[in-house]
Amino acid sequence: MILPTEINVLDISAAILLVATFGLIVRRGFSNWVHAYRYQTIVLAGIVALIALITDIWELYIVSALTFGIKAIVIPKILFYVTKKLDSPIKLETNPYISMKLSVIVSALLVAMSYFIFLQLNIESNEIIQVFLPVSFSLFFIGLFVIISRRKALNQMVGLLTIENGLFLFAVSLTHGFSLIIEIGLMADILLGVIISSILLFRMSKTFDSIDIKNLESLRDD
Amino acid sequence: MFSELFSSLESLLILALILTPIISGLLVTFLKRKKIIEAVTVFSSFLILIEGLVLINSILEYKTISVFNGIFYVDSLSGIIIITISLVGFLSSLYSVNYMGRQYDKLIIDESKLVRYYQGFNMFLFTMLLVPISNNMGIMWIAIEATTLVSVLLIMLYVKQSSIEASWKYLLIATVGLSLALFGTIFFYYVNTIDDPLGGDASGMNWTNLVENASGFDPNLVKLAFIFIIVGFGTKAGLAPMHTWLPDAHSEAPSPISALLSGVLLNCAFYGILRFHIITSNSIGSHFSNTLLIILGIVSIGIAAASIYFQKDLKRMLAFSSVEHMGIISVAIGFGSVIGIFGALLHIINHAVVKSLLFFASGSISQKYGTKLISDTRGIIQTMPITGFVFLIGGLAIIGMPPFNIFMSEFLILSSGFESENFVPSMLVILFLVIIFAGFGKHLLRMVFGSPIQSMKKEDLGILSIIPMLVLVAIIFVMGAYVPEPLQTLIEDSSQILLSGDIHN
Repeated sequence: MILPTEINVLDISAAILLVATFGLIVRRGFSNWVHAYRYQTIVLAGIVALIALITDIWELYIVSALTFGIKAIVIPKILFYVTKKLDSPIKLETNPYISMKLSVIVSALLVAMSYFIFLQLNIESNEIIQVFLPVSFSLFFIGLFVIISRRKALNQMVGLLTIENGLFLFAVSLTHGFSLIIEIGLMADILLGVIISSILLFRMSKTFDSIDIKNLESLRDD
Repeated sequence: MFSELFSSLESLLILALILTPIISGLLVTFLKRKKIIEAVTVFSSFLILIEGLVLINSILEYKTISVFNGIFYVDSLSGIIIITISLVGFLSSLYSVNYMGRQYDKLIIDESKLVRYYQGFNMFLFTMLLVPISNNMGIMWIAIEATTLVSVLLIMLYVKQSSIEASWKYLLIATVGLSLALFGTIFFYYVNTIDDPLGGDASGMNWTNLVENASGFDPNLVKLAFIFIIVGFGTKAGLAPMHTWLPDAHSEAPSPISALLSGVLLNCAFYGILRFHIITSNSIGSHFSNTLLIILGIVSIGIAAASIYFQKDLKRMLAFSSVEHMGIISVAIGFGSVIGIFGALLHIINHAVVKSLLFFASGSISQKYGTKLISDTRGIIQTMPITGFVFLIGGLAIIGMPPFNIFMSEFLILSSGFESENFVPSMLVILFLVIIFAGFGKHLLRMVFGSPIQSMKKEDLGILSIIPMLVLVAIIFVMGAYVPEPLQTLIEDSSQILLSGDIHN
């Protein structure tokens, strides 16, 4: 039994999540992206707690706490450290493949597309699925768009993390989460992935003097 | 749980199988001395080989083994993957001693890098072994993603521009691809638990549970989910057009790791597709997934054919050949007849054997010649007679020459293609195989028999690099003549598992 006020809370939290994700699109600075990612994850942890409240599944509270602890505190800490230590003079996305203004429009279209895809899917839905599934698709598409349209490796990494957040929201809203052991395994994978890609970023900036992926085009067959 | 642990040999075996590489990795971390960590790793991978073979013996006896409340589940299909991991893992650890030792002597890597290499090697084996034994598809996904992370660490062992580029592309593309596979996995979990939510219970994600309930799944959602799965795990298995990371990663890794990546890891990812293929077939019949597998397989073989023909780099050529062979396996599963599936599973083992032989040989060759360029590598048979000989055998085997093992499985696969009336795909496969035969054969003969560009000392690179290659050559000859009895039973049993969907529908 879900009260109308709760639905409003759901809608509002979904809207906040989308806004936080757009922070990734509109800002240029390295640390801005990490901030955007952190806001996004905090909202996500809140949403998971909300779903836990509605569905009354106690594991989801732990998942929410884990999300907050690892993805909103530890990972941003690592990323901020990387941002600070990178010895690149200009810590900005100066010249993305698709301009910032156009990126916003594309992202808006991607959100619209997510809602359209959701309507095509024949999923037996309740309020949670209706509100959050399209948003989770949006997160996935925006993350993918960031990966292919930006030139800085750090930005691609945040794009990857956004995809993962979308996936996580998808799982929690559709199936109310898996068992705890799998969630912990997933978090471990993500944490390990962030650490490894941070090492790669350092190596990249040391060998190429920048983390621009235009340097990464020498391996090809021609 | 503990009573079960001691009462059944199988649960002990499975536990030992995953604990051995972990313990060995820890020992490497603490002991740090070059000679000791080499010995530890070789010994532990030998132990894994023995444990794997004993486990397969049990599989042959009991058909399916499920331990620890169904967390771990192995059947004949897992057995095939376990064989390839443990065999290639052991030989690769043996070859590493020589190969990495030489890199160490040449000051390309220092002692701390060597420690990191053997840590990574053991963890790589652990993550790969976790794939075929887990029953829970979520844990299987986590293990496959972990293989990506560990192998990225191994590829970026050398700090140079090309390996950084390869690792970044690999990490990015494989992770995005696998995230699609997780979407698919969640969808399957959803359709399984839609009628009675299990709450925190994980059994709804167990393969055994999914197969049992498959006939009641919503067909449209199953189709959608399988598309996610095949694109996702297909990216990791090197199926075109999602294969773009593969030639970079496989050619930049240290050669013993290339052998594991090409010969074994691709199979682990393909194993993920196979498990979901069985669920899908049980739910909506095998036609849908078979068609997808055939299309992706044909595209892979075609792209590989073009790339091999014009290839300049030895290790990239071998990497594209892996794309080709994963394509052949995929097409063969798609043909869906008993012979075709038998051929595909045999091909998984044959490809693992031949491809690791070729990567071992190419590692020694590039160490001797100091280059990976095909045009600069001439007259291997004169400069290093034994390596040249095994490289020739491996090369002839991989392009499907009789009387070697790959000829046998490819023959089974093509005859099943015609038998199941897939004429167009079969003709295309034959056409591409002819192109690859010509392209690879041309490069191979020039490299082995041409005259060396500069004069070199006539000498192979150490007994420890030769032994693993000779073992593999012996297997190639034996498997070319006949399939040993236990292996045949194992493959026949797994074919039955893969065909169970057709029996239900």
